[in-house]
Amino acid sequence: MKTSDRNLIFGWWSLVVFLSLGGVLEMLHGFKVGWYVDVGNEMRRLMFTLAHAHGTALALVNIAAGLTTRAKGFTLRSSVSISLIWAGILFPMGFFLGGIVTYGGDPGVGVWLVPIAAVLLFYGVIRIALDLSRLR
Amino acid sequence: MPKSSRSTWQGVLVLAVIVGGAVMTLISAYRARREMVQPDNRPVQATIGNYVTSNSCRACHPGNYASWHTSFHRTMTQVATPASLLGNGAQTDFSLNGRDYKLERSGDKFFVRTRSLGGDYGEPREVVLVTGSHSLQVPWLEAKNGRTLEQFPFAYIIAEKIWAPVSETFLTPPEFKEYYSIGAWNGACMDCHVTKGQSRFVSGDTWDSRVAEFGIACEACHSEGREHIALNRNPLRRFKIHLTNKVDPSVTNPARLAGPESGMDCGQCHSVWAYNGMEDKLDFNRNGTAFRPGHLDLIQRFIVQPNSPDHGEQKDFIREREPDFFHDRFWGDGMVRVTGREFNGLQSSPCFRGGNFSCISCHEMHPTDTRQVSLTNWARNGQLRPKMESDEACLQCHKQFASKIESHTHHPEGSSGSRCYNCHMPNTTFGLLHAMRSHQVSSPSVRESLDYGRPNACNLCHLNQTLAWTADKLHNWYNQPEPELSSDDRTIAASAQWIIKGDAGLRALVAWGMGWKPAQDISGRDWLYPYLIYTMTDPYAAVRFDSWKSLQTLPGFSGFPFTYTADDRALKESAGGALQKWLREVKRPDTTFEQQTALQPDGRFQRAVFERLRNDRDNTPILLSE
Repeated sequence: MKTSDRNLIFGWWSLVVFLSLGGVLEMLHGFKVGWYVDVGNEMRRLMFTLAHAHGTALALVNIAAGLTTRAKGFTLRSSVSISLIWAGILFPMGFFLGGIVTYGGDPGVGVWLVPIAAVLLFYGVIRIALDLSRLR
Repeated sequence: MPKSSRSTWQGVLVLAVIVGGAVMTLISAYRARREMVQPDNRPVQATIGNYVTSNSCRACHPGNYASWHTSFHRTMTQVATPASLLGNGAQTDFSLNGRDYKLERSGDKFFVRTRSLGGDYGEPREVVLVTGSHSLQVPWLEAKNGRTLEQFPFAYIIAEKIWAPVSETFLTPPEFKEYYSIGAWNGACMDCHVTKGQSRFVSGDTWDSRVAEFGIACEACHSEGREHIALNRNPLRRFKIHLTNKVDPSVTNPARLAGPESGMDCGQCHSVWAYNGMEDKLDFNRNGTAFRPGHLDLIQRFIVQPNSPDHGEQKDFIREREPDFFHDRFWGDGMVRVTGREFNGLQSSPCFRGGNFSCISCHEMHPTDTRQVSLTNWARNGQLRPKMESDEACLQCHKQFASKIESHTHHPEGSSGSRCYNCHMPNTTFGLLHAMRSHQVSSPSVRESLDYGRPNACNLCHLNQTLAWTADKLHNWYNQPEPELSSDDRTIAASAQWIIKGDAGLRALVAWGMGWKPAQDISGRDWLYPYLIYTMTDPYAAVRFDSWKSLQTLPGFSGFPFTYTADDRALKESAGGALQKWLREVKRPDTTFEQQTALQPDGRFQRAVFERLRNDRDNTPILLSE
């Protein structure tokens, strides 16, 4: 399997998962579930929203990475492919776990996954940008 | 049109949009800045020391902010606005003691104009602040003298949705006409009704008062927050505290203090306190409280307990300067008798000696359930913790009684008589027109009624029973010695005696108690009518108010109209009307009255008994302020 295929498959399945999470969050809003909508759970709401948004955005980044390499005819480095996939996992997971247990205005410890994911994402994106630049 | 000309016009249009946007932004910035200019006719919020206000706490503690925001602590003092000034559309014209008052609205502001009867209305004076939002609200007017405030002589009784003279919203002698003098808010009320208030006396009647925040906000209980915020910008520090459950020394958390320190956090205001001396008073006046939450020492002040050995010199000084000070706040044995001063009771309770008992044993300031409906109920219900309206409040410590409630109380389990707090925390404190539970945990005795005139818990529920009946029960059940009793104490219901011959504070408690459902259920309702109707003409307005409220709980009198602040003639007419209504429309022909109720078979008072008791009335003037 090509590395670009791996990112495309991950991206589309990730999109399925995080669009579904969006539906779940809508339901929590719709039924006014206190665990999610109460004023005191503002941090949980923020974390889950960020998990949904980042999960969806990272799914699109993975799809874009896969399509870009195909369109431009170059091979996605394995390290880049894995970085983007892990960024797509760790970003939303960090926010999601950070929202399960909260400390008032602070998220739970799971949120510490987010900076790791950010490093992986930066590496993947910068690497693709550099590889694309060299193609010219 | 040439191409270059068209793009020039487009450029001009873009430029015009940018300039227009910039001008609009400047205008709104100017307006915002103008609105930020502090008014000079009232106390203002200012940056004081390391206080940062609740707005700064909100970002990191949204749940706690939400519960505080729903509480009546937040709204204790507010700037007067259409939203905060309650009852602003209910009445516009007021009259009192030969003066007329007109309350008017102009935009979002309110003004009061005053005239002597027959004269012209004077210059409008702005209503600038309001104090209270739970039971009662008092509006404050600019005094046109610095930041000094003057009392609007009427208060809004929130539950009744009526305005009444302020002097008649507290238990005050009838000859008492003005409750707060000019500057009283600056000099006294703001000691506790704001966060870190600085009265700042200038001269004469002039004050230059400022506060860290209006209302009782986060920093009143948790101490000032600037250092706490600065330190906790570091996420590593925060997570270290979260994960190790360590105490953050940069802020006070009453929930993690020992009982006495935690209680003092509330007690800094919810107590009868006095200054250690004139220097401390001046320091408090200029700089505000020096007390830091988490400590036991109020520094400039002390908790006044009549019987404690401390501060003897200061207490002697108080006795000399204000002879009624103790009488107006405490029962004869030193138990506090006014509401809002619960820490005095807490501190005198045997439970307090254990070291863990504090206000938050039963109350909570920040419920975990932050749904608005839950928060509203919590705020209206004394900010009690879950289950604290049940025996659980006491059983959380006194576990040994859980399995023997019936044998200990001699009342069926689950009945109101078996409730711990009905016997050990009866409604013997009074303030803001209603009775409230004593926060001094004690055991009922007949001696407390004989020696100090305080209604005992048994007769506050068994209203139709005599003191002899109570003495007999307490002797048989708890081996209490039987005191020597008068003939009346053996034959006339204790509550009937108290409501006729007690002092005004006692009469108010019993008038309120006659409307208490558990007492009505056990004592019967039929015989209460004549007592409550008679008390509607009591010289003390607060007693009349509670009689009226209790009468409304009786069958046939729901919604009965009565102006408790009316003149004597109108009061007598209303009471006469109520009596006729009861005799003709409500009382069943077959109603009988027990001997100890001192009523004739037709429901009227036994004249000789009534006259004797009334002649024995304790007419000592009494002023029970909250």
